[in-house]
Amino acid sequence: MADIIEMDRIVKIFPPSLVALDAVSVKFSKGEIHAIVGENGAGKSTLMKILYGMQPADSGEMLYNGKKVKFSDPGEAILAGIGMVHQEIMLIPQYTVWENVVLGYEPVKFGGRLDAKKARELVKQKIDEFGFNLNPDAKVEDISVAARQKVEILKLLFRNVSVLIMDEPTSVLTPQEIPQLFGELKRLRDNGHTILFISHHLEEVLELSDRITVLRKGKKVGTIKAVEATKAGLAQMMVGREVIFDSIRKNQTAGEVLFETSGLNYTDPDKRPRLIDVNIQVRAGEIVGVAGVEGNGQLELVNLIMGLIEPTSGSIKAVGEDITRKPILEKRKRVAFVPQDRANMGASIAANIAENVIMTHHRLDQRFTRWAGRILDFKQAASFTDEVRRKFDIQMSSGEAVFKSLSGGNQQKVILGRELLLEAPFILLDQPTRGLDVGSIEYVHQRIIDMRAQKRGILMISADLEELFRLTDRIVVMHKGRVVADLVTEKTNVTEVGYLMLEGAAYEA
Amino acid sequence: MNIIIGLINGMITSATPILLAALGGSLTYYAGIFNIAMEGMMLGGAFFGMLGSYYFHSWPIGILFAILGAILMALIFILFAVVLKMDEFITGIGLNLFSVGATTYMLRQIFKVKGAFSSPEIVPIPKIDIPWIKDIPVVGEIISGQNLIVYLTLLATIAVSYLVFKTRFGLRLRAAGYNRTSLDTSGVSANRIRVWSLILCGVLTGLAGSFLSLGYVTLFSEGMSAGRGWISLAAVILVSGNPTGIALISLLFGFTDGLGLFMQRSLPSQFTSMVPYVATLIALFVYSVRLKKKQTI
Repeated sequence: MADIIEMDRIVKIFPPSLVALDAVSVKFSKGEIHAIVGENGAGKSTLMKILYGMQPADSGEMLYNGKKVKFSDPGEAILAGIGMVHQEIMLIPQYTVWENVVLGYEPVKFGGRLDAKKARELVKQKIDEFGFNLNPDAKVEDISVAARQKVEILKLLFRNVSVLIMDEPTSVLTPQEIPQLFGELKRLRDNGHTILFISHHLEEVLELSDRITVLRKGKKVGTIKAVEATKAGLAQMMVGREVIFDSIRKNQTAGEVLFETSGLNYTDPDKRPRLIDVNIQVRAGEIVGVAGVEGNGQLELVNLIMGLIEPTSGSIKAVGEDITRKPILEKRKRVAFVPQDRANMGASIAANIAENVIMTHHRLDQRFTRWAGRILDFKQAASFTDEVRRKFDIQMSSGEAVFKSLSGGNQQKVILGRELLLEAPFILLDQPTRGLDVGSIEYVHQRIIDMRAQKRGILMISADLEELFRLTDRIVVMHKGRVVADLVTEKTNVTEVGYLMLEGAAYEA
Repeated sequence: MNIIIGLINGMITSATPILLAALGGSLTYYAGIFNIAMEGMMLGGAFFGMLGSYYFHSWPIGILFAILGAILMALIFILFAVVLKMDEFITGIGLNLFSVGATTYMLRQIFKVKGAFSSPEIVPIPKIDIPWIKDIPVVGEIISGQNLIVYLTLLATIAVSYLVFKTRFGLRLRAAGYNRTSLDTSGVSANRIRVWSLILCGVLTGLAGSFLSLGYVTLFSEGMSAGRGWISLAAVILVSGNPTGIALISLLFGFTDGLGLFMQRSLPSQFTSMVPYVATLIALFVYSVRLKKKQTI
């Protein structure tokens, strides 16, 4: 097939010294679905943003339909026929579907009057042409995320683009919505559109794409045909070494009880019982997993432990002391905590990295402050940030950079580094690897296992059963606010846990 | 009867500059600009309007100068807030203060007077008598014989409403306010739209200014906008920019203003001149209570 786009030795450097793309050359053929995979921070999005004119390349050339091009803004790229659907959906919620689609290309009547009838008709035609199942008159704020994504795609098709760039389109969708999107993308490809698909979900990539280009740390590893690729092979290309998907625990006897909830009950302000008689024990050198379909009390359990809500009855003990109603600083001396919501609970995304790293530490550790805790010692903070960066392999320009400039995986590593370097014997992990790529997940898992070897006690909430089976010694299953099972990981299996999660009772078959 | 006609005419007269400025504010509000500079733009318009009318002995040139003066103020706002990306609030405060200072300075330098300047050389904007209608009792006294700017204001209200809700520019204007990245990625520069909204705001506040110095009275006095720009801002925020709503609020304010004057017969003027502002506070309070109720449902 003919190449529609050729990117030749593209270089992008983010000052001062982060090489985001190191002479990457890729060719995209007409009428293919081409996946670009790589870990967070590998340069996938940057490469696509350069193609789309959102960021300038520092050097390198682009050929589009055989001609040398350079887009200085997305508008030019769209005019040329290249469109991008971003991860965060960029529509106007207050506008209807057709208003969003025609925005910028509105048909007008005399005197600049918007020709609403014609615009709506044109949008309707496009919807029918591509079989999109959308109501042109619906307000965007009232439709589902999947439908909004369709509106984004439609908006580009309305501008007659032939190349569609999709930046992690599945990350905002529910599992049920993904096949539909894939069906639509395949139909577009069969219509002659070229689709560039950024992802780090290997199964999706293998299912959807024709060819796959793998990037690692700003370099291209290779382009392969999807039919010739395997999940393990791709993972190895992505991280540069073999990735093990099996259990990585070593045998070890658990020590004394570090953490214990007894008879924990919680009724929410609407008088609905959210937690009922929850008893969980975690011993030193033990990883206990909490499995359960989301919304079965896990969130309340975490909030109770951290003191964000108070239990109706029952108590929480950590390291031999009742911490149920202790102030947060007292809790933090005993409990390290990695929340699932990185941006809102785990960090202050507007603060810089060093400030995020010393949070809590600056209250518990004398060395970060002078004058009885009144003045922060930024020298110490900087050297500690450096220590965290080394120990947790964080890709960042400097500790002064704002936290939100980090990629998702690196953000999580910063939070994990901060928490695991607290001297708290008990560690509470809430979805520690959600949204991370294969390489980062493996890294985080290794650190968790290290903590176990150091005889710390770990309670880990995860929606990912594969992860629980890989790491934990025991798994407790939550169903409708109750702990319905407390299982030894080695003596159970995914089917049994899955059944308990859904039914709340032991399966008999 | 005369009292009622007087009150209504008073209402129309005091509502006019506020409504015009608020319509300008409505356009910038929809474009997503926190524009508090209507006060300064209006004052600039009032000064330049007087200047144009005085030197050229012509009210149309006066109006033209008023519009250009207000646009000049708008361009300063554009330079700082849009081009240099300064904070809009700070820019607005700066511009309002600058306008008071600059017009006062020019008044003293050019005309060598302090406080106010009036002269028979300043040609006021005429009142328009509508044939036939002016002869109708009561109604004729209200509908006919108003200042030209009053009729222009009526047209402007309809035009702004049409522009915002019916035209392509309006669709893009509101898009710039709702989600500017979305507009940018749709291939329309949100900044260009914002610049145009500010220039149009300049035109409307310029008209408001010309009404102050060439319509309402025929003179320029220091700081003669006297908070009308702020009231217009309150009107814009109160009804989230909707032009019809703005017209109603402006009329309400104009009415209370006239009522205040009327009440001066029995109350000290210090109290009666508070009436419009108290009315504004009450309107704000009622509005926020209603909003809260809506949210809890």
